[in-house]
Amino acid sequence: MPELFVSGLSHKTAPIALREQLAVEEDKLREILVDVHGAGVLSEVVILSTCNRVEVYGVADVPGEARALAFRRLGQHRGLDLSQVEPLLYTKSGAEAIHHCFRVAASLDSMLLGEPQILGQVKDAFALAQHCQAVGPLLHHLWTQAFAVAKKVRTETELARHAVSVSYAAVELARKIFGTLEGKAVLLIGAGKMGELAAKQLVDQGAFPVYVTNRTWARAQEMARALSGTAVPFDAWAETLATMDIVITSTGATEPIVRRADVERCLQGRRSRPLFFIDIGVPRDVEPGVNELEAVFCYDIDDLRQVVESNLRERLREAQKAEALVEREVVKFTARAQDLEVVPTIVSLRERLEAIRRGEVEKAYGVLPNADAQTRRAIEAMSQAIVNKILHTPTVKLRELSRGGHVRSWTEMVHELFGLGGRGEEK
Amino acid sequence: MNLILFDLALVGYLLATALALVHLVQRQEAIYRLAVLVTLAGWVLHTLALVVRGVEVGRPPLGTLVEAMSVVGWAAVLFTLWAERQYGVKVLGAFVLPLVALSGVSGAWLPPGLTDLAPALRNAWISIHVVLAMLGIAAFILNFAGGVMYLLQEHQLKVKRPGALYYRLPSLETLDRMTYRALTLGFPFLTLGLLLGALWARTAWGSVFAFDPLALFSFLAWLVYAATLGGRVVAGWRGRRAAYFAVVGFGVLLLTLGAGLLLPGRHGS
Repeated sequence: MPELFVSGLSHKTAPIALREQLAVEEDKLREILVDVHGAGVLSEVVILSTCNRVEVYGVADVPGEARALAFRRLGQHRGLDLSQVEPLLYTKSGAEAIHHCFRVAASLDSMLLGEPQILGQVKDAFALAQHCQAVGPLLHHLWTQAFAVAKKVRTETELARHAVSVSYAAVELARKIFGTLEGKAVLLIGAGKMGELAAKQLVDQGAFPVYVTNRTWARAQEMARALSGTAVPFDAWAETLATMDIVITSTGATEPIVRRADVERCLQGRRSRPLFFIDIGVPRDVEPGVNELEAVFCYDIDDLRQVVESNLRERLREAQKAEALVEREVVKFTARAQDLEVVPTIVSLRERLEAIRRGEVEKAYGVLPNADAQTRRAIEAMSQAIVNKILHTPTVKLRELSRGGHVRSWTEMVHELFGLGGRGEEK
Repeated sequence: MNLILFDLALVGYLLATALALVHLVQRQEAIYRLAVLVTLAGWVLHTLALVVRGVEVGRPPLGTLVEAMSVVGWAAVLFTLWAERQYGVKVLGAFVLPLVALSGVSGAWLPPGLTDLAPALRNAWISIHVVLAMLGIAAFILNFAGGVMYLLQEHQLKVKRPGALYYRLPSLETLDRMTYRALTLGFPFLTLGLLLGALWARTAWGSVFAFDPLALFSFLAWLVYAATLGGRVVAGWRGRRAAYFAVVGFGVLLLTLGAGLLLPGRHGS
């Protein structure tokens, strides 16, 4: 009797040295997939291979055999022996495999909780397996549901909402201050890589216009081009401060470049419009006292890291909500799958009894040629009542028993007892 | 009959308050939707209650302070439902509904007041005066809630330790816009309402402020709001300063209410 299982290793069970030896790129994976599926041990198979996990999702009569086959073939690629891999593998079957699949797709099993790439990788793995015709009804049902669950987790929880990188945390803070970044003026002081990245992300969110300044004029011009901005001479940036909304500093200077007095001066014409300093320089480029000024916010690199840490804690809290959601989905999925298995049996049983009833009723009419409408109605009602009464308990029982597992053995017994024909012939 | 309706509406508001606070902590979308539904149900019952009360006493239900406070709550809930949608501020209910529920509870404890009014007060102008002033005050409740939310969020951003509220409150810009909108909504209502009251007082008693502490305090509140609005238009006061003024203005409104309840005057019931 074929069984659903997942077997593999991840960042939680295996060191990177081994993971990178097992991980394969798409072309090679296609080849392996065809080989593994072609061996005839697995009726369905999907292989998920990323830098953090290598997992085989399959349907097989003997999962142990299928798992050995798949990982022997995966290891073969880089001369890895099965005995090196086997001790690190986890294997789950049935509801546990479903649970695992949903958690992986929803990014609950990721190294960085809620990171968005995994769903794309999961979708690619599924598409590849479909392309190789290795996907049957069971895995198709499971994986499409896993995509739906992942989407639900993303919309109903804030698992992936808050930034976990310093530069993106800065962008998010800017949004908490300004609402939209559309049309917000940005000044970038210095040529640090991280400053440029933060400026790029602000521009992506609609920040405009962008000014760039640097001690080296050529470098300022180069960066201005990269950001579609305007270069400003280094001794003139302070004059532009009054019209800015966001200032990013990332210079190698040993002394603060932005002084409290400069900022105080520029505030007069600003009518309390907020001004946000993102100071990525180490040592700091903005004097700490600047944060105390009205409507001015100044975050240095440590502040940003602190925000990231707090965002990570927020993700952990949201993960609990997501876990509960996934568990509910697993229960729904298994109940539906089992119902689906039982329904054809119930239908053919009913059809069978209905055929017997019709035959016997016709026979009765044969011996009662003068039966009036009332008698006929009574015969119909009585025979239908008998069929319904006989069917009632088996129908309820079959549904009940299917929830406790063992669906197949029960449906097979019913088919055998009532002579309903092979399982393949049912509707 | 109408007392049962008022009680049912109050139960709805209390339940909605609890749900809004749970949503503030848990941030579950389903709870927010439920909170909105319960708020809406409470508001519909409240509307019915006001109509039935008006029919029973044979005049608009605006004659006593308790009745007037009820109208303030009614309008504040309406404005909140609108603003939550308009500005996408889902946590607004958690800040406004407790005030509405509180005023409802205290209203239920106060004596229901007269049903018969002095002839001098049985006048359509008086009803319009009350309605306008109460609509203004309802908008200022929103103004106050927005100001408090602004100050909380600004504090979180200044100290750079994002706490639970940081994630739940919207951006400073959104809060500032909403707070300002509430001010521009409430100010014309209050201005017209006070003007009508003053004109009536002069015709009926020959003096605008004669022996009436409530009128004096509400004029003070009007001054605060006029200053906020003027500062905003002329000098670009916004953000923290506007938020402080929203809080101060609301404080004066509370004093006005206290004066109306405790001190003798023309508004006493």
